Amino acid sequence: MGERVGIVGVPPLAVIAELNRRGDVIVDLDEPQVAAPMDQTATRIPRVYCAILRTVVLNCLHLRLDRVYIDVGPGKCDGALHVAEVLADMLKVPVIPTRNQDDLPFGTPLCTARMPLMDKFSRITHSVQSAAAHASLPVCTPVCGFWGVPPRDFSLLAPFPDATHVFGWTRCMENKTPADLDLERQFDPNIPTVFFAQSFCAKSALAQHLAAKHPRALAIDCDVTPGSSTRAKIEAFLELAGIEPARRSAA
Amino acid sequence: MLLADFGTSYCKILDTAIEEGPRIVATRDLDRAFSADLATGHNAARRSRRSINELTALARGGSELVGREDFVLLDCGSRDIKFVRFAGGQVADMGWNAECGASMGFTIELLSAYYGLDYASLPVPQTGFSITCGVLGMSHIFDAVVSGVSEAEAVARFVRGIALNAYRFAGEPAELYLSGGLCDNPLFVGSFPCPVSPLGRFVLLDGLQATLRAEGRPA
Repeated sequence: MGERVGIVGVPPLAVIAELNRRGDVIVDLDEPQVAAPMDQTATRIPRVYCAILRTVVLNCLHLRLDRVYIDVGPGKCDGALHVAEVLADMLKVPVIPTRNQDDLPFGTPLCTARMPLMDKFSRITHSVQSAAAHASLPVCTPVCGFWGVPPRDFSLLAPFPDATHVFGWTRCMENKTPADLDLERQFDPNIPTVFFAQSFCAKSALAQHLAAKHPRALAIDCDVTPGSSTRAKIEAFLELAGIEPARRSAA
Repeated sequence: MLLADFGTSYCKILDTAIEEGPRIVATRDLDRAFSADLATGHNAARRSRRSINELTALARGGSELVGREDFVLLDCGSRDIKFVRFAGGQVADMGWNAECGASMGFTIELLSAYYGLDYASLPVPQTGFSITCGVLGMSHIFDAVVSGVSEAEAVARFVRGIALNAYRFAGEPAELYLSGGLCDNPLFVGSFPCPVSPLGRFVLLDGLQATLRAEGRPA
């Protein structure tokens, strides 16, 4: 019987391949896995901190895991490097830091496909758990772009049209090259683009910098959940770019 | 047709069937049963048959009133600030600060009542406080008064700091258009480090009318 293994960030392909071979159950600790108040993490990690990493700690407080792999290299962030210390002291199971510098491109078919953006992000983040090659998908003509990391709360993605191309670290994730800064800083200047970073994330500097270079950009950040002004900014940006915001629920 | 901009402190209402122009009603005095045909603002979804986003209304209204391809429009409300930047006739950038830039207009109004000040009679001070929001800025006023600065001077420095913060939020433009109730505050308008063209407090209503016209409906 396989183990339950938590992962943070994108561990190296060799690690994922080994987990797949052993039949382990992979739990993505970057995503909300438990329905518990975030404030339960306050004694372990500051409240004013990346909501993704706070989610990692919250998950670890509640889930039964046999091991945790946490990527702490240039493909993740210094925050993860320090949270790895917290987890190592907090958990009774091995917490194994990795430094993913894989440079074999797997391609980014999901990032350029036509599908609801929330589904797209779910499939991209889920693809991290497999070492298998991606299925090919037709490239759609984009009407707008989303640059950034997968948000803590995917409901942020609800207003975007299906023909949204994804850029930034999410594209690096799908490509399985999370430390590829050249890929991360790519964007399409011909489509209106939202540049997103989690509040208190180091990538917010890159988001703001690239948004300033883009001719039609909106830079946003959000902490645990998007507030009404963040949602309104996205809706107005899309509307004023001639794109009818989708009114789908955030289920 | 009844159009409304439901602000936090004041509602701006326009009945397009009459020629009197818009009226302003304190939000707390507005009849609870009042409902608009088309509205914007934080209560719009609840108090109208159809609502549009405040930034959308601001951009459409600004575009109509300014009539230029490139400009920056800043709206300073009671509890938030918003801006839109047009480049080549299209919206190139925008922002809405309801958290860190919160309560600016509300606090400025509150202070004039508390200290009994008339902003029309206060000169723009030489310096302003470095502040990011109305609430946090209050402590600067109290500290300054304790250190011997007059109440009027301290409040004026606060207002100048608020204006500078809003200017930075809008991207430090070479010139800007201003919308909202603070257009009527000469101290606030004079505190910006760039030329300011006040458009008044009905820009969002103009945006609602522009929306109707774009849909081929009489506005």
